[in-house]
Amino acid sequence: MAAGQKISSVKELNAVCDEIRRNQNSGLNPRDEIRVCIGGGCIASGSLDVKAAFEKALKEQGLERKISVRGTGCLGPCARGPVVMIAKDNIFYQGVDTDDAKDIIDTHIIGGKVVERLTWKKQGTGEAVAVQNDIDFFKRQTKIVLRNCGVINPTSIEDYIAHDGYQALAKTLTSLSPDNVIEEMKKSGLRGRGGAGFPTWMKWSFARKSPSDTKYMLCNGDEGDPGAFMDRSVLEGDPHSVIEGMAIGAYAIGAAQGYVYVRAEYPLAVERLGIAIEDARKRGLLSQKILGTNFSFDLEIRMGSGAFVCGEETALMASIEGKRGEPRPRPPFPAVKGLWGKPSVLNNVETFANVPAIINKGGDWFASMGTEKSKGTKVFALAGAIKNAGLVEVPVGTTLGELIYDIGDGIPNDKEFKAAQIGGPSGGCIPRQHLNVTLDYESLNELGAIMGSGGLVVMDQDSCMVDVARFFLEFVQEESCGKCVPCRVGTKRMLEILTRICEGKGRESDIDTLIELGNQIKDTALCGLGQTAPNPVLSTIRYFRDEYEEHINNKHCEAGVCPGLVSAPCQSSCPAGVDIPGFVSLVAERRYAEALRLHRNRNPFTSICGRVCFHTCENKCRRAMLDKPVAVRGIKRFMADQEIVVQLPEVHENADNAKRKIAIIGAGPAGLSCAYFLARLGYRPKVFEAEERPGGMMVQTIPAYRLPREIVAREIRIIERMGVDIETGKRLGRDFTLTNLREEGYEAIFIGVGSPKGVRLDIPGSNAPGVTDAINFLKTYNLKGSVPVGQKVVVIGGGNAAVDAARTTIRLGAKKVTVVYRRTMEDMPAYMEEIEDAVHEGITFKPLTNPDEIIVVDNKITGVKCHSMKQGKFDRTGRRRPENDSATFVVEADHVIFACGQTLDSSELFSRDELQPISGYRIMTDSTTGETSIPWLFCGGDAAEGPMSVVHAVAGGEIAAVGIDKYLTGENHAFWRAQQMVDTAYDVNADPVAYPRVNMPVIPIERRKDNFNEVELTFLEPEALRQAQRCLRCDYGKTITQERK
Amino acid sequence: MSDVRCNCQGEISEEDMLKQIDGILDDYKGTSGALIPVLQIAQKMFGYLPEAVLKRISVVLNKPYSEVAGVVSFYSFFSTVPRGKYLVRVCLGTACYVRGGKDVLDSLKKHLKIDVGQTTEDKLFSLDVGRCFGACGLAPVIMINDDVHQRVKTVKISELLDTYRNKKDETSKEAN
Repeated sequence: MAAGQKISSVKELNAVCDEIRRNQNSGLNPRDEIRVCIGGGCIASGSLDVKAAFEKALKEQGLERKISVRGTGCLGPCARGPVVMIAKDNIFYQGVDTDDAKDIIDTHIIGGKVVERLTWKKQGTGEAVAVQNDIDFFKRQTKIVLRNCGVINPTSIEDYIAHDGYQALAKTLTSLSPDNVIEEMKKSGLRGRGGAGFPTWMKWSFARKSPSDTKYMLCNGDEGDPGAFMDRSVLEGDPHSVIEGMAIGAYAIGAAQGYVYVRAEYPLAVERLGIAIEDARKRGLLSQKILGTNFSFDLEIRMGSGAFVCGEETALMASIEGKRGEPRPRPPFPAVKGLWGKPSVLNNVETFANVPAIINKGGDWFASMGTEKSKGTKVFALAGAIKNAGLVEVPVGTTLGELIYDIGDGIPNDKEFKAAQIGGPSGGCIPRQHLNVTLDYESLNELGAIMGSGGLVVMDQDSCMVDVARFFLEFVQEESCGKCVPCRVGTKRMLEILTRICEGKGRESDIDTLIELGNQIKDTALCGLGQTAPNPVLSTIRYFRDEYEEHINNKHCEAGVCPGLVSAPCQSSCPAGVDIPGFVSLVAERRYAEALRLHRNRNPFTSICGRVCFHTCENKCRRAMLDKPVAVRGIKRFMADQEIVVQLPEVHENADNAKRKIAIIGAGPAGLSCAYFLARLGYRPKVFEAEERPGGMMVQTIPAYRLPREIVAREIRIIERMGVDIETGKRLGRDFTLTNLREEGYEAIFIGVGSPKGVRLDIPGSNAPGVTDAINFLKTYNLKGSVPVGQKVVVIGGGNAAVDAARTTIRLGAKKVTVVYRRTMEDMPAYMEEIEDAVHEGITFKPLTNPDEIIVVDNKITGVKCHSMKQGKFDRTGRRRPENDSATFVVEADHVIFACGQTLDSSELFSRDELQPISGYRIMTDSTTGETSIPWLFCGGDAAEGPMSVVHAVAGGEIAAVGIDKYLTGENHAFWRAQQMVDTAYDVNADPVAYPRVNMPVIPIERRKDNFNEVELTFLEPEALRQAQRCLRCDYGKTITQERK
Repeated sequence: MSDVRCNCQGEISEEDMLKQIDGILDDYKGTSGALIPVLQIAQKMFGYLPEAVLKRISVVLNKPYSEVAGVVSFYSFFSTVPRGKYLVRVCLGTACYVRGGKDVLDSLKKHLKIDVGQTTEDKLFSLDVGRCFGACGLAPVIMINDDVHQRVKTVKISELLDTYRNKKDETSKEAN
């Protein structure tokens, strides 16, 4: 039968199918083909050129008649495009460019060797996985809707027919009655994939029962939800499946005419669907008397014109009629009165693509997948902060965590998962504590989101949730058709409030107003767009209320997004609010003294932080988008090392303030920082320290090889020079009480006692001799200069204290040191650099290992009995909870150190006070003032926040200093919080300098393992200058309108 | 500079426009719901929808001008003012937004020295925002006419615009 001839019976259809298959087998073996993805995503990555390059390379080798190059629809992993499949051995290549085509032909097709550099790399290990079905991304998917995407050529009806195409239509027309079709759909349990999940069979049944001579079958391809692109991929990759599904539906309801409404943003989808309709007509599979039966059905495409509301069914019909796309109230429902007043059914592209498979394989087969109430599979479009962005199809009921981590490979750039936005502007955000939610209609509704069309945008900590809510409201506000007041005016009011909050002008009552307005709009808006418009706001308030409060109360956007509150993201992420681009650019101009003063304006511990800061700034640095973040800590270290003349910060002397009596308990970073900022306001606070040396954790637990003691002493002396008196050897609860201090006339007291008590696990043997906790161990060594250390040490834990303890024991002569941790290496809270250094020094890490018992024989430790763990479901922190695995083993040991956390030891502190400012393991404070429940008592640092870091403690001390000043004077005098003007030069038009990031030099292993000399060395000046010039100056030209509180 | 340059290239007289649109209207007379497809074709032909064309459409399709104008103003794709040779549309869909689409827009505004909805003085570029082009896996993206540019970096914007500027130079050289 000649190509393009009409097919006028089922018999002919089967004959054509056989013939096409035969032809493909005789001439070109279909297994000998190279499939190049020509979906929209890969085309944007240049796949059309790649396809041409393959054709050219084959021709050069004279293989063009043996091996075919087939352009196919979307294969899924768009972010890795252009992607290519070698069909004969199922090898998947990613990121293929035109030059690679020749290599693949020569090495793989001819030479039979896989080109490893272009294969998929396994997460974590980096191991190459060449065969498509071995790749986790594909292995875990079940493809029904996307069954042909990536397999067939979307512009060839022959290809579709050869893959069982139009068999379902043939079966329907010859052996099923319309009622049989609806019955089969009912059995399948298919629900509308456009978002609301209305049972498809029911819609069809209503329309079937509506009496009318004319009915319409409509397809909604107006995929307007930002973040969703499954309809696009189906229309571009397998358009015939939609046509076939529509024809079956039309037969069931009795329609002879159909329309596919496709948005104008998808020109390629329109083009390919147009070709498919034309081909189907030519082949007699559309139009009159299809397959020789009395059934006639034809299709037309209507293009959208950029109106989101046209995705709503009544608005879409108005648009097809050539009117403004405004929705109308229902009832009457479209099944009764739809397009041009006739009964009509509107289904989504994905819904229709399911239909042929259901008819072919039966409703029961379809219903065997999914959950009780939601059957089959669902296509999700993964986008945003996720490694494997692209299109995936999974059984309904797969969990969000599986989708993001197992299929999506998790979050790129070592960032953390924050939330997944699902359902577009009608949906909501799901936070990390709900990663175990199953993706079905009901479960998502419960969490305040919706399944929607399946767009899933993953967000990391760089997204500000208030800004995200504002973004969606802005979208809805722009797209609101204006017909009903709740949507037109209500969303506008909500947007105004959100904009105000983002600008730092929010009011306390704003959150409640938003909730109230949101609920009203939900109840009263005319159509789906309006009724669901408040969802993104309500769901972010539900899960991220603290972020709203931070914007309103503290005028701070930690994500570094909201203009007016943010000059550069690095600065916003710094707990102490240091002007990072400011000091970095001053260093670049060799103005070290000014740079140092600018840093000390917000943080007294420049030298210390240059060594031990955990640099949230670098994690937020935008330069990472280009290559790697700016080496902020290294630059800071270099800058601090240039200090010859002490750079004192600006101090406002004040005779009245100097007379007020303020006590600070604890000379750790929080207490000293509080004293420092009070001193800058002219106060003369007195600091009481329990140990013999001031510095807190900075001298007690952080080892000297990371932070030399003279550095700490020097920066503390600067604070003393500013009029702060430190008295050591005075312990609260032993040497004095809060009541004593009050009696001595102290008007305000700051508690900065930290969380200095180590925690031990409650397992057999944990109190045996030879078992210590890391805090005690480090403290004993650092304060007394010696501590007993075994030969074989096991450290239990994964935080910085664990790594510090392990590295200390090796320096003190331990022969074998093992760190056991119950989660994975990636989940370890310790700094990555520290872990790497520890590994270099010979320390063994055993992740996914949990200790069961410390084996004690004759009062001596002989080992730690452990069992291995495997990763289970997600816990509230968004990490996978370790679960017991069967294997148990013993790690030999004669010394065990617990590093499983630390806590505030409150029992002694306030034992003789009547006051009990304690709540659980920390002291509750107001986040903007540091005030406790007792008016004159303030607190900050680890005692208030739990174990954190030096820079957090600095921030806590500063907040309390401002709070104390306000308590004493009734006013805020924190002059250092005003934005500092930095007059460094910046050429807006210059391209960024190309220097790569360089890590700080370190001393060789052999010269550090047996001593406590500082491991890291400072940059040499030329390197420091180059590193500083890498800054992109995100702060340039930005003015902060609201001072951070 | 710009007043010296000939802008007539590509601009056609009203008479020709009406002739062309009449040809289209002939095909669509009698089709139900023809208004929007006709407007889409007209916009594609002329780059925008001149008033004279809209009036002709209203007469031939026998629809009040108010209805035609109402439809034109409702849909964001229709424009009643001429656009530049290259329409730069920045995607501000969710995925692009969280991947820095807003920064890309700011950078484009800065480089082109125009705001959203405006056209550069040399009539080369118009700037617009879009809501999702369905290339979310490659965010942030922008579309320049029908080309999708993926993973756009703010620091590389000027380079990208230059490739289009140079295209223009080549054509004008050919014309000379």
